[in-house]
Amino acid sequence: MTADPPTPLTERLASINGVASVSFHNRGLWVDGPLLDVEAMADAMAGLGIRLGSITAIPQSAKGETTIIYHFISESIIISFKTQTRNGALASLAGRLRAAAWAEREIRDLFAVDFPGHPNPLPLIKPSGFANGMLREAMCGPAALAKSPTSALRVK
Amino acid sequence: MAYTFPLGPYHPALEEPFKVNVQCKGEIIESATIEVGFSYRGIEMLAQQRNWIEVVTLIERVCGICSNTHASTFCMAAESIAGIEIPKRAAHIRTIVAELERLHSHLLWAGVGAEDIGFHSLFMEVFNLRERVMDMLEAISGNRVNYGMNCIGGVLRDIADPLSHLPVLDAMEKTMTNIVIPTFTKNPTVLARTRNVGRLSREQAIEWAVVGPVARASGVDIDVRKDQPYLVYADLGFTAVTRPEGDVLARVVVRALEMLESIRLVREALKSIPDGKLRASEGMPSVPAGEATMRTEAPRGEAFYYVASEGGNGPARVKIRTPSFVNIPAIQAMITGLPLADLSIVQASVDPCISCTDR
Repeated sequence: MTADPPTPLTERLASINGVASVSFHNRGLWVDGPLLDVEAMADAMAGLGIRLGSITAIPQSAKGETTIIYHFISESIIISFKTQTRNGALASLAGRLRAAAWAEREIRDLFAVDFPGHPNPLPLIKPSGFANGMLREAMCGPAALAKSPTSALRVK
Repeated sequence: MAYTFPLGPYHPALEEPFKVNVQCKGEIIESATIEVGFSYRGIEMLAQQRNWIEVVTLIERVCGICSNTHASTFCMAAESIAGIEIPKRAAHIRTIVAELERLHSHLLWAGVGAEDIGFHSLFMEVFNLRERVMDMLEAISGNRVNYGMNCIGGVLRDIADPLSHLPVLDAMEKTMTNIVIPTFTKNPTVLARTRNVGRLSREQAIEWAVVGPVARASGVDIDVRKDQPYLVYADLGFTAVTRPEGDVLARVVVRALEMLESIRLVREALKSIPDGKLRASEGMPSVPAGEATMRTEAPRGEAFYYVASEGGNGPARVKIRTPSFVNIPAIQAMITGLPLADLSIVQASVDPCISCTDR
């Protein structure tokens, strides 16, 4: 499950339905679970008194699934749960965690991920006239687009 | 009679566009909804199209007020992936600029707040003080905003004569202690508009997951500088300021006392700045494949970054969660049941940054 010695926290994380691995690197705990039960995760973190800090979405392809990372913050450490959408959707956590409400609306606007059960699924940042997923295609293959340095002064 | 009142997006109190739709009965606010996104810029997408040098300049433009916070937090995330430890002198300089930026931001907020309650002479006093901070930042970086101090691996500019800045800090502390803080905390005009207004209880603060001065003014003792110290905060020592009341006055007091703590931190960092290099390496940084999360205490609260690298010339993904993104929604909880006339100062007491929110 993890190369580090298990702690009560890592053991609790590992017990959440759908968690495949828990590891520690770059000053944070990283929890992987492609089929993670996100509602069970939300309930477990609420029970531990750990707040939701943010949600990151990374589209895997223009029309495919999306990697979703839930970042919970316990003040001394960040715990990131990595999972993926199923048929373009994941259960909304907004009814359980207020901090999820705007984050899910923004992800829906940018990447067309659906969050069934969201109590207020209105656009957050998407201008009227744009379809959901307005930046999905543009943010799918980012690494190839990054340019080499253009300033000779900064290259050695 | 019930009616809906739209405040914004062209705003009478703030220079940035956001909208609060309040549903009122008579003069009392019954509920509210908040709209943002009027100036969305897609910076996270643009970050994926720039290399590791260019992207720092882009990220610094997330916000004009806490620009240094964004650049330094992003750099710290990239440094975490790359295993880069920045020189101690660079960590001191980043801390000095971060705390000057907090002073600048809190003074800007205090001036806007003074203007919102019709206290124009206090606004002038505060903005006069803010000029001193901006002059100091200009002397250090060459810029009054967007300081361009950070690069992956350290800082781009040195502070040549650190002790020369101490007299300015002494003068600012004197004005703040003798004029600004007493006026904000004891003047009847200020108290009448801020005490018991716009309350957010500790339980509500936790429920809405607010951060920064908004959380600390509701008795939630969270501050990244204390909870997960970075740069040289552990060396300098740090005292977080909290208040239990949760009203606008508490937010005023927290920010006012934080300014004194920022002056102390800048003074200590200037006095103890060690000799040494400014950057761990020169040229294009090499960031291997990996991912990292990073958070710092921006003036408005916790700034959170997720950065992923695929080992290429630039980042594969940059996720930015600004403090305003989680603080602004809580305005709904603060204003319910208040007179409409309090809406302006309550939303200003959150110090909402729309530039940050709309990235």
